[in-house]
Amino acid sequence: MKWGMVIDLQKCTGCGECAAACKLENNVAIVEPKESEMGRTMLWMDMLTVYEGEYPRLRVRQYPRPCMHCDHPPCTKVCPVRATYKNEEGIVAQIYPQCIGCRYCMAACPYTVKSFNWYKPEWAPGIRETANPDVSVRQVGVVEKCTFCVHRLQKAKEQAKSEGRNLREGDFQTACAESCPAGAIVFGDLENTSHRVNPLSRSPRATRLMEDLGTEPKVIYLKEVD
Amino acid sequence: MNKKLIDRLQILSISLIWLLFTGIAVWILNLIKESLRLHDAPDASLGISLVAIPVFFTLSSVLTYVFIGLRKGRRKDVES
Amino acid sequence: MEKAPAAPHPEYDLLRPIEDPGKSFYYIVAVLLVIILYTGFVYIRQVYYGLGVTGMAQPVTWGFYIINFVFFIGISHAGTLISAILRLSKAEWRRPITRMAEVITAIVLAIGGLHPIIDLGRPDRMTHLFYNGRLQSPLLWDIVSITAYFTASTVYLFIPMIPDIAILRDRGVKPRWLYEFLSWGWQGTEQQHKVLDRAMNILMVVVIPIAVSVHTIISYIFAMTVQPGWHSTIFGPYFVVGAIFSGIAAILVLMIVFRKVFHLERYLKLIHFNYLSVLLLIMSLLWFYFTFSEYLTGYYGHEPNEMRVFWYKFSGAFAPYFWTMVTCNFFLPLILLSNRKTRTIPGILIASISVIIGMWLERLIIVVPSLANPRLPYPTGIYIPSHTEWMLFLGGVSVFILGYMMFARFFPVISVWEIQEGRQESSKTVTERITSYMPDPQQPLAKE
Repeated sequence: MKWGMVIDLQKCTGCGECAAACKLENNVAIVEPKESEMGRTMLWMDMLTVYEGEYPRLRVRQYPRPCMHCDHPPCTKVCPVRATYKNEEGIVAQIYPQCIGCRYCMAACPYTVKSFNWYKPEWAPGIRETANPDVSVRQVGVVEKCTFCVHRLQKAKEQAKSEGRNLREGDFQTACAESCPAGAIVFGDLENTSHRVNPLSRSPRATRLMEDLGTEPKVIYLKEVD
Repeated sequence: MNKKLIDRLQILSISLIWLLFTGIAVWILNLIKESLRLHDAPDASLGISLVAIPVFFTLSSVLTYVFIGLRKGRRKDVES
Repeated sequence: MEKAPAAPHPEYDLLRPIEDPGKSFYYIVAVLLVIILYTGFVYIRQVYYGLGVTGMAQPVTWGFYIINFVFFIGISHAGTLISAILRLSKAEWRRPITRMAEVITAIVLAIGGLHPIIDLGRPDRMTHLFYNGRLQSPLLWDIVSITAYFTASTVYLFIPMIPDIAILRDRGVKPRWLYEFLSWGWQGTEQQHKVLDRAMNILMVVVIPIAVSVHTIISYIFAMTVQPGWHSTIFGPYFVVGAIFSGIAAILVLMIVFRKVFHLERYLKLIHFNYLSVLLLIMSLLWFYFTFSEYLTGYYGHEPNEMRVFWYKFSGAFAPYFWTMVTCNFFLPLILLSNRKTRTIPGILIASISVIIGMWLERLIIVVPSLANPRLPYPTGIYIPSHTEWMLFLGGVSVFILGYMMFARFFPVISVWEIQEGRQESSKTVTERITSYMPDPQQPLAKE
């Protein structure tokens, strides 16, 4: 089993729904405006802005950037305490109680996907009532990042086990894939031919970010057609 | 201060140094064991860590050699 | 037991700071303690609130703490490397310098080694490094090598100190128990000298590879990532050269300070400064060679991400720091030290301080630009260090000064017995050595 994601840039409208859904699903903290300006916004799913061409033929695109869940992650190599590691299903996981906050993984990641809890994370009063009980809340001084909604995976596995069957494609979707109004994000098992990501990952439009670095990212982008 | 007390403190300090270095060696061996179990460290780091252990023991051996050598080399007429 | 007036000692100048410290010592210690106490408070505040009190953010997640970590450990190469190499090469002019250099190493390693801990988001979880440390991470290699270097340099500092401690013990200097305890029964017998010599011979050889490995492994923290500007094979030797470079500058500054404060003009003569400053000049040229190679390779390859970092340093936001660094590390020392007329004590002082500043800037230029220019299309990061980081920097320097002053208060900063050995035996030893270099006498020609 190798969990991966395909993001179709032709369908993506850059609305940012995935980023918002991810924050809500994973209890990602909100930072103050001053902190955000400094660059301490915590976005597990970020929207990258790309400018193409020059005025007046300027094109601005935004595309989603989750953690690439590389098969050859540069971040796990450098963690001194194994607070980040790649599990058997290909998810690059974070162990929050183990992390000592050295931020070496943040410095080593070429995609800059990791966030850090610079202060004790806080949420607006109302949000606390709607927090997701399945996701552990992080403490100050700890690194966090997109986990491919691994808590949903655990729940789906338990459900499948109790029903005595294997996992089906529909059992487990990441919050971003679920929320995308254009259906641009597809999530599934890259090794399972019945999952949609499998044929999509082999599409002629398929490309990965910075694959020449040898990180073998498992988030595949489908290039725009025009 | 009592000469005997100082004597004993000196021997104690050397023993503590051996204890410390043994502790460091045990720690490094622990790291190597963990790396072998998880099988994700480059063999070079394991090799180099193995080399690090003799370095510590060389240092404590040199210290002990000096300690004992200085005691032995004392003039016989002056005690302690 | 009342203190009998100590007999006049030929090297009394070296013992006076211990036997008769003077009031200004206590004033300076008091000021330093205030600074250090405030720094401690600032650090506790950081532990309480989190690393948010610093100026770090994404993408520049490493700042002053890592810069100072590399900087302090770099200076540590002063001591052990210089004193080991000078002893190994039997350079007689090393005698007044070795002890000072070794003390720098010991103190600065302790401070530098603490800096990664200051940098941790969760210092309370430090024990994870011991129970669950991962040997695949360069940070762990660092911990092992710095521990090895610290222990080696402390042993290498202590063993040659034993005869001096015995001198202080015999002169009845207070606290007597300290010198009794540390002198290990030294009496200066021939056998004891042999033991000491053998130990020092082993140590000075063992210490050199450890010292080289330490800064190489520190460079691996950066070189083992794939980030532009970091992933370079030259980093190992580059860092070692830079470390020796900043270390020599540090010794020179310290020598000049002690010469002034303790009136050691008879011991630290112009020739010592001359030789060391020529070494500094050589290291400056070496540093320039490595820097030039590093940037030329990056520029010639013209890889887009490398070039972004390159231009950021050469003409972008970091250009003032970059060119100041090159001036401080290369042009200023070159001008001041290659000319005999300017190679005076004030000139050497300016050159050394300039190198120390330049090398600190070099660490800044290595750490921040690569982080500030992420590969993905993010805006360039900005790093403005906060009050916390500046205070911890100042605190680190204050701890160094305080540590050194405490050392100088109880132990001689110049090795008394080695000076005496130099006076008594060096001329003979050196003459014999030089005679052995000369061609052997010609055999008498056979009678025809």
